[in-house]
Amino acid sequence: MSSEPTSFLYPFIEGDERDASSLVADLAASARAKMADSRALRVATLERCADSLARAAEAMADRFARGGRLFAFGNGGSATDAAGTVELFRSPPGGRSLPAISLADDRAVLTALANDIGIDVVFSRQLIAHARAGDIAVGFSTSGDSVNVLRAFEEAWRRQVLTIGLCGYEGGAMAASEAVEHCLVVRSDSVHRIQEAQDALMLRLWSTVQRCMDQGGTR
Amino acid sequence: MTVDRRFSCEESAPAEEVAAAALKLARRFAAGATMWCAAQWPAHGGHVAVEFVHPVIVGKRALPAVHVEGADVAAAVRLLARPGDVLVAVSAADDARVGDLLARSEAWGLTRLWLGAGPRPPSGRAEHVVWIEGVDPAFAARSGAVVLLYHLLWELTQVVFEHPGLLEPRPVPAGEGCITCSDEGRVGEVRAVDEGSRAEVLVSGVPETIDVSLVDPVGPGDLVLVHAGVALTALQHGPSAGPGESRP
Repeated sequence: MSSEPTSFLYPFIEGDERDASSLVADLAASARAKMADSRALRVATLERCADSLARAAEAMADRFARGGRLFAFGNGGSATDAAGTVELFRSPPGGRSLPAISLADDRAVLTALANDIGIDVVFSRQLIAHARAGDIAVGFSTSGDSVNVLRAFEEAWRRQVLTIGLCGYEGGAMAASEAVEHCLVVRSDSVHRIQEAQDALMLRLWSTVQRCMDQGGTR
Repeated sequence: MTVDRRFSCEESAPAEEVAAAALKLARRFAAGATMWCAAQWPAHGGHVAVEFVHPVIVGKRALPAVHVEGADVAAAVRLLARPGDVLVAVSAADDARVGDLLARSEAWGLTRLWLGAGPRPPSGRAEHVVWIEGVDPAFAARSGAVVLLYHLLWELTQVVFEHPGLLEPRPVPAGEGCITCSDEGRVGEVRAVDEGSRAEVLVSGVPETIDVSLVDPVGPGDLVLVHAGVALTALQHGPSAGPGESRP
């Protein structure tokens, strides 16, 4: 910044910086590094999860073929990932449309359950109302520890609903839960990088479901 | 095994564009702006907004961002946004509703950031275009590529807040000029037309009375190109997403 010999007298000079060009260069370098991290994590995750993803897709295709429906849920950004999953299955960029419902979208149901009982039951109580044996539950939690997501999986499992979990870090309680049949873990400790890799996993899961259904000769 | 390029993770996102957009966004927030988020894919609109309002990293600044969706997003943003606010749009270049919203947002005085994928939009539609080229937008929207763009926007915007000296509006350097007094045309949205050839239009968020005798009859909601108090060209007819317009 300053080349004046007295600059050492001003320890708070950062607060007075006026030239944005060096910051913009730093920001761009940071962006490039994060993009590289994101790409590497997505590639590594798709590779590491390939077998479990293929099994999950096959089970989902079987459920869809028998008339099952998909219920997706999560909190915050994961709620939007659940909604994105529903958009992908119902309005796909190709292939067949499949029935999917987001449990994080209905404000009346969400606030009624949260207010009357508590946030821990907002998804499980909806599954009690909607889910039947043969349906599919897809839950997102970057920590793997979201209580309402775990409770929804337990409810789904009791009802013979296929359970598929997406989480990050080391998998948290979701990876240890017997109620989650197919758990896809993104091994990262950045919520943002985890969500990007979960998107990649979900796209691959969706495309594999489509392929399984084509090969299965179903409708 | 054949590799379908649509599923590739090898897309290249534009680091410099994200950096410049983040600096602008942080400056607008520092000046009191609200960020309005609209997306071709509604889940992304909600995701962008929650990133800013409720940061996942403890201690980061909560910033005002609102996802707008529904049958008439343009009517909602027109009512809610104030001049100086920011519109963040997430879509492919050919999304009609987002394109309409961006055009009107210029007349409303909003700073426009457009994030998307696929063929790049024509220049001049937004102050900052952050684009992933060479991909199928419908797949990029689901592969993690588009969510990466607004994650980066959030991460870098928070970094700018660590540099308070850079949050103040940039002085306009000599020679760069000022948009309001240069000889460029500006987009105006017609509010009302009187019996003669005068119309009240909104330009950069400020009402102006202009001469519309050079263009075909215009009505409320039409967009016109304004120069020196005269409408030179009608850009778009009808209120936002009105009858006859193509919808996505």
